[in-house]
Amino acid sequence: MARRIQFVRKTPAAKELRRKAGTWLKELRARAGLSQIELAEQLNLKYYTFVAQVENGFGRVPTESMEAWGRALGMEPSAFARRLLSYYDPELHRLLFEVKE
Amino acid sequence: MTVLAFQPNVRQPDGSWRSGEIKTIVQSITPALGSGAGGGWEVGATERGDPQFYLLAPPPHEECVLCISRVGNIYVLEDGAGQVLFEHNSLALLAEQARSVLQKKTAQIVARAALIWCTVRQTFEEKLEAVMGESEELLAHVVPQLAAFA
Repeated sequence: MARRIQFVRKTPAAKELRRKAGTWLKELRARAGLSQIELAEQLNLKYYTFVAQVENGFGRVPTESMEAWGRALGMEPSAFARRLLSYYDPELHRLLFEVKE
Repeated sequence: MTVLAFQPNVRQPDGSWRSGEIKTIVQSITPALGSGAGGGWEVGATERGDPQFYLLAPPPHEECVLCISRVGNIYVLEDGAGQVLFEHNSLALLAEQARSVLQKKTAQIVARAALIWCTVRQTFEEKLEAVMGESEELLAHVVPQLAAFA
């Protein structure tokens, strides 16, 4: 009997992970003492609504603004991006940072 | 002279949409829900209590495709990457804009599907042609030999 190759790893749903990322971002912002409006100003956003969209778990921090977002929240950009990757693309994060040679 | 102070017509944000607003927004996104550009919608709010409406992509990702927010008296339409697509104090106009953005997305999906279909069909035809050609060649080679035996 032919064996089926399983390509899909069992990972939590993308929606749930985005929500966790949002909660983490909200905690970081609170620790940095910033409101959503103040963070949006630091990110040069016209409206602060995108910050809420991301923190509510419906959107992602775009790759191109991860550095600014991380710095605004008082985090080193690569550590910030790595943590976000664990939520946004857990399989890539596992391959890059968890699988040993 | 007495100066009367008028209260500005700004609603205090309480994080909720009025039913008329939701109806207008849902009407504008309904075609997208049937065409694959959207998979569903949810509502939320900012920390200040400004309401937000999220049109979500189909499962499994279900991330925000379009977001409509009411900030004071202004309605803001953003995409899932935070790019402001439209802003206006008329929700009807904004909903019209959202519909047009979604129509473009649907057209892109249809074009992509058509391209995939054409590629698959062409590949299939090429493979089939090769197999048929081989069979014909084999037949042309074998038939005279069989005829000689008969």
